Amino acid sequence: MNVEELLHDALREQAAEQPPAGPGFADRVLAVRRRRRNRRIASVAAATAAVVAMAVAVPLLDSGKDDVRPSGVVEQKGVKAHPSQSPPRDLIAAGNTALAAYYVPNMVKRSATEAVDERSYWLLDQKTGKYVKAPQWSIVAVAPGMKTAAVLEKTLPASRIGLLDLTTGKVVRWIQVDHGVAGLEFSHDGRKLVATTYGGNPDEAVKPKGSNGWMGKQPSSRTGFYVFDVGSGKGSWSEVKLGADASDIMGAGFINSRQDFSLTRDGRYIWAGSPVGNIGKQFWDLTGAAMPVPGNQKYLDWSVEALDSPSGNLVAGGFAGKKWHTSSYVVDATTGKKTEIRGQQLLAWADDKTLVAWDIGKGAKESEYHQRLVLVAIGSGKEVPLSGFRKDSGTNPDNSSGRWEPVFAER
Amino acid sequence: MNAEGLESFRDFVDNRSSALLKTAVLLCGGDLYAGEDLLQNALAKAAGRWQRIDEPEAYVRRILYRQQVSRWRLKWRRREVSVAEPPEAGAGADAAAAAELRLVMRQALSRLTARQRTVLVLRYFEDLPEADVARLLGCSVGTVRSTTHRSLARLRVLAPELAALGLADVELQPSRDYSPVEVRP
Repeated sequence: MNVEELLHDALREQAAEQPPAGPGFADRVLAVRRRRRNRRIASVAAATAAVVAMAVAVPLLDSGKDDVRPSGVVEQKGVKAHPSQSPPRDLIAAGNTALAAYYVPNMVKRSATEAVDERSYWLLDQKTGKYVKAPQWSIVAVAPGMKTAAVLEKTLPASRIGLLDLTTGKVVRWIQVDHGVAGLEFSHDGRKLVATTYGGNPDEAVKPKGSNGWMGKQPSSRTGFYVFDVGSGKGSWSEVKLGADASDIMGAGFINSRQDFSLTRDGRYIWAGSPVGNIGKQFWDLTGAAMPVPGNQKYLDWSVEALDSPSGNLVAGGFAGKKWHTSSYVVDATTGKKTEIRGQQLLAWADDKTLVAWDIGKGAKESEYHQRLVLVAIGSGKEVPLSGFRKDSGTNPDNSSGRWEPVFAER
Repeated sequence: MNAEGLESFRDFVDNRSSALLKTAVLLCGGDLYAGEDLLQNALAKAAGRWQRIDEPEAYVRRILYRQQVSRWRLKWRRREVSVAEPPEAGAGADAAAAAELRLVMRQALSRLTARQRTVLVLRYFEDLPEADVARLLGCSVGTVRSTTHRSLARLRVLAPELAALGLADVELQPSRDYSPVEVRP
């Protein structure tokens, strides 16, 4: 017998020993699809979208008094990297964007079949430049300029939104809401805040019979959105009804249990991802009336956190993997022309040609999930490490140890 | 996917997932959980375009192989590979020695790279000719041939027992012809 024959026999013997696939395998597969979408939106919802190239004016919250302070007072525009830190302890920043916060996800089991995907946040302390745990918040959105954050308390959906002064660490205003809020996102100029309302906690997860993984509760309980003026705290609510097939995971109207709204860069429209539909996103005007996709938003991809570039001319795209083992596309917002760029997953624009991304290390054995933050640039094959590697959570969807998710904001 | 598509997808998974799982587990070096994960991923991808697929099994298998060789996409972690207990002595010295060799082979297989293992599984488990393997993996026949050669050599390095048990001269022995149709790259 030679090695090939032995190999032939060994493989057959091993295959014969495999137990059959368990019952309900099809349902588990369908659950995988849904869970994956939930994961994608989870990071999108928390990551403050992209950055604007110019210094913008952001209302500084000071006992309710409107004082407009230019965020451009932050003078350092260089790169602050801590390649040995994971999760980071000291400020990470590049160009116009900074890691304003990060959170650690944790699937907290309520029973064998019910759990809640909770987040523990660490916010940047403006005085020390270090990240400090903020255990009282379940959701945090940081405004451009990093002077203000909008926060929700632990119970979701929340009945009030806090506006936190990041220089003092104190809530300077509570905005009471009639419709429970569970998602927050600032506009790109920092003057408006979009709050997504839900009838239940969108981070609740269930484990269906025969499935080995958690999936978001379906159908989604999303009800609509508020748009608030940050300076005055005033705003109004608009209802957005779910499509008839919203709970059919193969249906065009399906949405994730958490599928938050945000404002387009120009502040004219509200939009949200549509994981199954052909277009991949939906748009509304500020009163909640459905709109067709605006021409300049054709290539916007909700599942790629970096979204559109500061100038609006480029859009961060999905995984490429052609020129490099891990790489992504940057898409021309007008023509759709794709350019390959380093980086496994594009997270935030540092300027019009440079992005912060997740990427894995070198070597064929690198796991997809053993990633660090890096700086990548269009037209360059180089990347600059910004953080240490976060741990690979392996195949266990319940294991989030060593995982952290970045929240970027313009600085 | 409409109700009809969903039903056809469930039928396919119910009927074919056990066979597909065998291949997936072999591709993952004997790790049942990683194999299930690999298959789940492949089926989830196929589900996304189920009603546009003409030959579901061929389609799912192609995703399986390709996913496995571009491993960064997978939620994968290397695990200790558990293998069946060696048979009790007394079953016959030859049979025991042969069974032991197969276990040694399994362990060596689990230590190959995903790409090396995939090529070997396609050639020696699925019994596919080199040209078919090349088509499935999207590479040249020459690459399949050189990867096969290097993978077999690597197995012998990883499992010195194979050499110790008199297989060191395997290179000199005629190999089985799994490639009746020769296609030039």
